[in-house]
Amino acid sequence: MRQPGAYSRLLAGGISGKTGPHSLPLARIKKIMKNSSDEVKMISGEAPIVFSKACELFIEELTKRAWMMTLQAKRSTLHREDVASAVMNIDIFDFLVNLVSENSGKSEDPQPVTEA
Amino acid sequence: MELGGNGGFHGYRRLPQNSSAGTKAPEISMEMPPQMNQTPNTNSVTDDTECTVREQDRFMPIANVIRIMRKILPPHAKISDDAKETIQECVSEFIGFITSEANDRCQREQRKTITAEDVLWAMSKLGFDDYIEPLTLYLHRYREYDGGERGSLTGEPLVKRAVDPGTYGFMTFPPVPFPMAPHHGFFGAPPMNGFLKDPSNAGPSQAAVAGIDPPHCKEQGLELLNGGGK
Repeated sequence: MRQPGAYSRLLAGGISGKTGPHSLPLARIKKIMKNSSDEVKMISGEAPIVFSKACELFIEELTKRAWMMTLQAKRSTLHREDVASAVMNIDIFDFLVNLVSENSGKSEDPQPVTEA
Repeated sequence: MELGGNGGFHGYRRLPQNSSAGTKAPEISMEMPPQMNQTPNTNSVTDDTECTVREQDRFMPIANVIRIMRKILPPHAKISDDAKETIQECVSEFIGFITSEANDRCQREQRKTITAEDVLWAMSKLGFDDYIEPLTLYLHRYREYDGGERGSLTGEPLVKRAVDPGTYGFMTFPPVPFPMAPHHGFFGAPPMNGFLKDPSNAGPSQAAVAGIDPPHCKEQGLELLNGGGK
């Protein structure tokens, strides 16, 4: 994996890849937002900024929960199944149920998709 | 354009519609090949537009994701590759999920631009109430710093900030210890030591830099705000 130099990423300028103090690249967030739906038209400049922080919180929470599953299984390597278990256990992560159970190759007990 | 290592090394990954692909592209590949037939695991014949969206556009850079994960995990913890990728995918799903809800609200209110408030509202509606407070604080701080006070892009804003160094001791984004080490050279000349008169205190000096938005954000903001209409 090529590690960017301390300055090369910052001084590269432009929109892509620059993390700045927001830690997650805003341009990428914007792209993902736009890709989520054809109906998304304009995005204010601040929305990706909120997302950069929100994604950080999200990753932290999901990681924490997944790690708890890892510990329960008495392992020290966090696996995809731990993430899947965490998702199954937490209501607000219901939107991830399909994502973590697809491509897993094994058919777990299909969680009923709750209606919104 | 090289993305500084944060997007170029995954190549194409299996896509949701791609039920046949089980292999992953080699992690070493750098720049995205323009033609899809270089990566065997991509089903380029499907007519979904998903298929033509490059992986580096669909996900957050994995290095960033891993860094955030490691902040949470104990030092001895290991993370499997599939866990990293799963979290990476979950983040994108999260963004899409919230954005959809925010966009619905905009449409109901007949607005065209998704604002930060819409995003916050959507998060609250979808159960992420715990995030609202730190996010609101974060946004507030961002607005205070970047509301209008951006210096030149070549970066002498630190000089401006020197006027009142006292206030920057605690004007940080509290919840997030930014990985600021690489940013010392952000403006080419890091006069932070003299400026804050506290060279040993990495916190505030980093926080002062943290308040300075990288140029691209403002460009984006301007281009969006100028182009955005109600």
